[in-house]
Amino acid sequence: MDQSEIDALLAAGSKPASQSAAAPAPPAPVAAPAPAAQEPSRDPSGHVIAELDTVTAVTERESNKVMDQLDQICRLVTRQQELITGIMTHTGSQEPKVQQAIHEVMSAGKEIQDKVFEAMDLMQFQDITRQKLERILNHLRQIHDYIVDLLGTGTKSEGKRASISNTIAQTGTTPDENKAHADAVIEAFKSKGKG
Amino acid sequence: MKILIVDDSSTMRRIIINTLSRIGYTDVVEGENGKSGLERLGQGGVEMIITDWNMPEMDGLEFVKVVRGQNPGIPILMVTTNAAKEDIVEALQAGVNNYVVKPFTPDTLKEKIESLLG
Repeated sequence: MDQSEIDALLAAGSKPASQSAAAPAPPAPVAAPAPAAQEPSRDPSGHVIAELDTVTAVTERESNKVMDQLDQICRLVTRQQELITGIMTHTGSQEPKVQQAIHEVMSAGKEIQDKVFEAMDLMQFQDITRQKLERILNHLRQIHDYIVDLLGTGTKSEGKRASISNTIAQTGTTPDENKAHADAVIEAFKSKGKG
Repeated sequence: MKILIVDDSSTMRRIIINTLSRIGYTDVVEGENGKSGLERLGQGGVEMIITDWNMPEMDGLEFVKVVRGQNPGIPILMVTTNAAKEDIVEALQAGVNNYVVKPFTPDTLKEKIESLLG
């Protein structure tokens, strides 16, 4: 089996993945048939790598949009609290029932802000997921480069990538799940330094 | 206090900035890898560094080693997904003062920052 046959197989295998990635898109207009002379992609694994890179970039961009919305909610709650503080100076606001209502609205506002901050913190999952994808990309790149070396044809993957955590595969999304372990290692290191 | 945050994830930088602002630190500068972190550091005024490890161009460990060569006293907190014991030890040997594994809670970040500044 030569490189072109491998490329053709990989190209055929990568089609369903790229179609499923575009699942929410509205029905596409009927495309003109591809020219018969058109060759399959010469670098299908490179295509998959580029596709996964796009996925990570898009999720980061969309995560930032969510963060923008959460920031906006926080600003609105802060503004609401400023308005309520202003109301407290008005005549009649010292009535016990009015005071009680103001207190409840302020507490609810604080609760909303706390929940928004919690949601922001949970967005860390995006970075962890991105790094897990980076690890998969790294494996794909190694396989791709190995095949290129083996067959003596094709182009090796390019560009210096981010270093990758060796333990990312085991990393979950529960905050502080590794805190006790990390703190114990730090403590042992510092004690050793003192001793 | 001016804090430099170095992380290639813009989402993560925002999360750290939000956490810092909630505990009273609003003077923040950002770098997206070790190289741009060094550029920001060169502009002066930075009193503390929070850095990721896994980044393109120049990773956090290399960045810390360069910073320590120039500035032995500046507090450095590493915030990373690298949780293996040997990674933590390697970072501490490179000159990191404290270490947080992602995902973290704001309380943990606060605790670590206060321990570095205290």
